[in-house]
Formats: sequence, structure tokens, C-alpha cells
Amino acid sequence: MKSYRSRRIADAVGVTWSFLCAFLAAAVLLIILGYIVVKGAAAINWQFLTQLPHPVGIEGGGVANGIVGSIITVGIAVLIASPIGIMTGLYLALFSRGGFASTVRFLSDVLSGIPSITIGLFAYALLVAPFKHFSALSASFAFAVLMLPLLVRTSEEAIRSVPRAILEGALALGMTTFRSTLRIVLPVAWPSIVTGLLLAIARVAGETAPLLFTAFGSPFWELNPTNPMAVLSLQVFTYAISPYRSQNVQSWGAALLLVVAVLALNLLARVLLRTRIRAAP
Amino acid sequence: MIDFIKRASVVALVALLSAPALAATQLTGAGSTFDNPFFSRAFYQYNQMHPDVAVNYQSIGSGGGIQQFTAKTVDFGATDVPMNADELNRAGGNVLQIPVALGGVAVSYNLPSIHSGVRLTRDLVANIFLGRVTKWNNPQIARLNRGTKLPDLSIVVAHRSDGSGTTYIFSDFLSHISPEWKSKVGTGKSVQWPASSSVGGKGNEGVAGIVRNTPGAIGYVELAYAIENHIDTAALLDQAGDWVNCSKPTVAAAAASKPNITAQDFSIVDAGGRRAYPIAGYSWAVVYRDPSDKNRARVLRDVLSWLVGGQAQGIASSLNYVPLPASVQRTAISVIRQMSV
Repeated sequence: MKSYRSRRIADAVGVTWSFLCAFLAAAVLLIILGYIVVKGAAAINWQFLTQLPHPVGIEGGGVANGIVGSIITVGIAVLIASPIGIMTGLYLALFSRGGFASTVRFLSDVLSGIPSITIGLFAYALLVAPFKHFSALSASFAFAVLMLPLLVRTSEEAIRSVPRAILEGALALGMTTFRSTLRIVLPVAWPSIVTGLLLAIARVAGETAPLLFTAFGSPFWELNPTNPMAVLSLQVFTYAISPYRSQNVQSWGAALLLVVAVLALNLLARVLLRTRIRAAP
Repeated sequence: MIDFIKRASVVALVALLSAPALAATQLTGAGSTFDNPFFSRAFYQYNQMHPDVAVNYQSIGSGGGIQQFTAKTVDFGATDVPMNADELNRAGGNVLQIPVALGGVAVSYNLPSIHSGVRLTRDLVANIFLGRVTKWNNPQIARLNRGTKLPDLSIVVAHRSDGSGTTYIFSDFLSHISPEWKSKVGTGKSVQWPASSSVGGKGNEGVAGIVRNTPGAIGYVELAYAIENHIDTAALLDQAGDWVNCSKPTVAAAAASKPNITAQDFSIVDAGGRRAYPIAGYSWAVVYRDPSDKNRARVLRDVLSWLVGGQAQGIASSLNYVPLPASVQRTAISVIRQMSV
């Protein structure tokens, strides 16, 4: 048997090592955030947030159309994906039995592993090529497909975590299954479902790959989702590889906006989750 | 009441959808990254003059531009090499190719202490990219650059990893001056780079990045790019025996040596003119001869006619492109007129 001393040393080494690894994991995020803030803060001003992009060689301009475009594309994606995702979660958690449910669960897991650019190509083949027209709608569709597996999983978990006794109590009082699901189960699970939705939004808001052949980008104001549209993450990409310094700086600025938005969504999700935990003693 | 809400929401929806239709006609184009600065500036200008016309151009590369044009998802494509017979077939024929921009490809290098005026003969450029000359202090380079202390540094060849019109122009140039390059490597939008120490980068920015960060690197980037990024470029020997830098006048001289170009006969590399820079080429817009939507076709024809005209080419010149020679402008106009609108 090893001596007490050598075991103490092994323990210290192990703890230090795991601490260092944990520190490293956190440091990577902090370094990225810090770098984006340092590089991007210079670009951000009122004009940057409210103006259209200027063509190269003309200083100034902003990414206002990209901000609006991101909100529109992601918004439509939420409208497409959330009913399907939440209903699927509901089905899996409450009404499913046996093989079909596990098949759905398995397929949804596989879907979450498909590279986003592949899903972009799928959207292109389905919604762009046949109509011979790039559109924000096709981007929303790609986003929705990306969000779906996340929504299915989180909704299922959320609904499953509602105590069975509550549902049974409602049924015992004579409520129909439909009403008890709608009025009892869903409200209790709702904060967790919304949290999942926010995380799914955060996940897709920064995606660029599925946009290249769907949203296409635009230098103009565009509110019509059947037209090509500017999206913030796409602007980050095009400006980053531009030969012009002023656009490179704007790329960092747009990246900062995206990171702040995603961070805010994540924090909001945490706050929601916490209130839920407090509300359900 | 409900009826009123319904009606109001329909009105609101219609208003929302038609609000951005300030621009009555929106044309989309895609392709060459080389054209992007010029196009984005020119189409911005056009939109200022004609608020009812918005041209949305996205630079996805020449290859991508041809593909999207063939899939008819865009109104026009842009490519630094005209579409070849195969590509034209795939697009169903009936394609018009219009020269719209002219530019040079600079040979750029990174030598830590030497920031200007490294001289290279055309043969030497070929030998470097063939991997025959591997050190910067090679006697062949030293002989051309007396008075410059060349370091004992290995040469790293930087090239494009994506299919690129710039690569086409550069490999076309190498094929012209080196029979060995022509037989071993050839001309194309992407080629097999024979030099043993070579690195690929995506896009002009990728190659420029490699050159900037690798002492001893040599690569090729478009002139506007080299100027904007303050990358050192080499002087080359022209056919008459003068040293020429890649610049607007020397590229213009190269273009002037071949006033008549067509989509089949377009190469202006290794041109014979006086003080002509040997690596230059045109960029092309591609459109269908007989588009189905005649309204859009008319707008597109007007935009393209303006694009090859004096005002737009002046914009190009301010962005370090070379304005199209008058003869090429005439060619372009006569091609545009063939559009059936």
C-alpha cells in the first residue's frame, strides 16, 4: 500500500491539473470575448447601428439591414420550428409508447449532428433552386431545421419533469386530457420550454454556413422575406474577407453585436430557469 | 369589429410587404470576388441615380457565379474567365459574355528587410513556381538584384486553394512563358502546384495573409488587393526588356496591345506592348440572350450598358482597376445589344 504522503501528492497533482483544465476551458471563452470586444468596440456607434452598409471606399455606413434581417429570419424560423418542436416534445413525453418514439428521438439526435452547411444546401435544393430565387424564407427554413432537434429534446425534458401526480390530479377532477395538458402541464413546463427555445435561437443566430446559398445577402433595406436579405452573421463573413480595412473593422463590430445578443439570450434563459426553480418548490 | 381587424391587418401586411418595394426592380448577381469592390460601388451609385433599380451583387467566386447563373437563381453572373464550351452547354447555350472590368495580378513577396523593387524575369517567376528555384539568394535572383542583400531564405509558394479566375490568369501567364509549365501543369481555375514548399489560401485574402505572415513567401494577388493591403510586389521584365511594376498604366499598356477581344480569344498575358505588365486580364459578366422576364431584361441591359460606360469605368479606376479600352467598350456594347428585350 502506498504511503499517505504519496497519496496526498497524487491528490494535489490531480486537483491542480483538473483546476488548470477548467481554467483553460473558461479562459478560451474569455479570451475570445475580450478579443472581440477590443476589436469590435471601435466600430460600434449610432451610425453603425442605424445605417445601411456603404459600398467599399466610402467610409462609414452600418449594418442596420443585417440586424433587422437577423431578427426577421430567426423570427420566422421560430414560428416554423416551435409548434412542431413543442408538439413533438409533448407527444414524446406524454403520449408515446414503444418503438416509434425511440425512432423519433434517435432521428432527431441524428438531425442535430448534421453540419449546418448541409442543411443550408438542403434548403437551397428545396426552396431556392426550384423557384430560381434566393430568399430569406429559405434561410428561415434552414434555421428551423437546425432548431428542431434542440426544441424536441428540451420540450420533452421540460414536459417530462412536470410531476405525473399533477396531471393525474387534474384528470381525477374530471378534466379532459386535452384541457389538462393545455391548462396544467404546459403552463408548468412553459419556462423550461422557453429556455430551450432561447438556447435554440442563440444556437442559430450566429450561423453563417446555411445562409450562403439561401439568404444570399443584400446591401439594401429588405423586409420582404421572399427576397434576398442581409443577415448579421453573413455580414461578419463577407466583411472579414474583404480587402478593405474599414470593412474588416465593421466585421468585428458586427461580430460583437452577435456575441452580445447570444450572450443576452443565454443569460435570459438562465434567469427564466431560475425563476421556474424558485416557483416550483 | 372582427371584420375590421381582419381588414386592417391585411392592409398592414400589404403595407409591410410593399414598403421595401421602393426599388421597383431588384436584380441579383453573383460571382467574381475580383469584381466585388467595383460592382458594390458602381451599383450603389446606380441606385442613387435610379432609386427604382437595386442591383444586389454577392461575391461568391467566379466558379460559384457560373453555377448560380446556370441554375438561373441570379440574373447575371460574373467571372474572371469567360465560360468555356462545357459550361455554356450546361447553361443551355444562348449566353452573352460581356467584358466589364480590367485588372492586373501582382507577384507579391515577403522579405523582411527588402520592401521595394525586387526584380524577377518572367522565366524566373516560372522557375520559382515550378519549384526549380528554392532560395531567395539563388544566383539567378541575385544577378537581377545587385545592390540588394538577398537573405538565405527558402521560398514558400503561396497559391489559391479555391477555384479562381486569378489562378486562371496567372497559370495562363506561366503557360505562355514556360513550355514546361504548359505541359506539366497547364492553365486552369485550379491547378496542381508543383513546387515542393507551397501553401494554399482561400481567396485573394487567404493568399495575401500567407504572404504577409510567412517570411520568404511569394504569391499572386490582384492589384487592388496588393495596394489596399500594402503588400510588396515584384517588378517583372516585359517583352521589350523594360522593368515594369504592376500598376494601372502598365496593365493598360498590356490591354492596348490587343484591342479586339472576344469570349473565345481573351488572353492578354505576356503582352507585346511597350511597358506592358505581363499578368493581366478581363473580368466578364454573363447574361442570357433571351431572358423570360422582359421587364427585368430591359433594366439589366440598361445597368450593364452603364457599367461598361465612362462614368462607371471612372469609378473602377478610382478603385485601382484599369478602365476598359475604348475598343473593348465598343465590343461590350455590341454584345449587350444582342440581348432580346
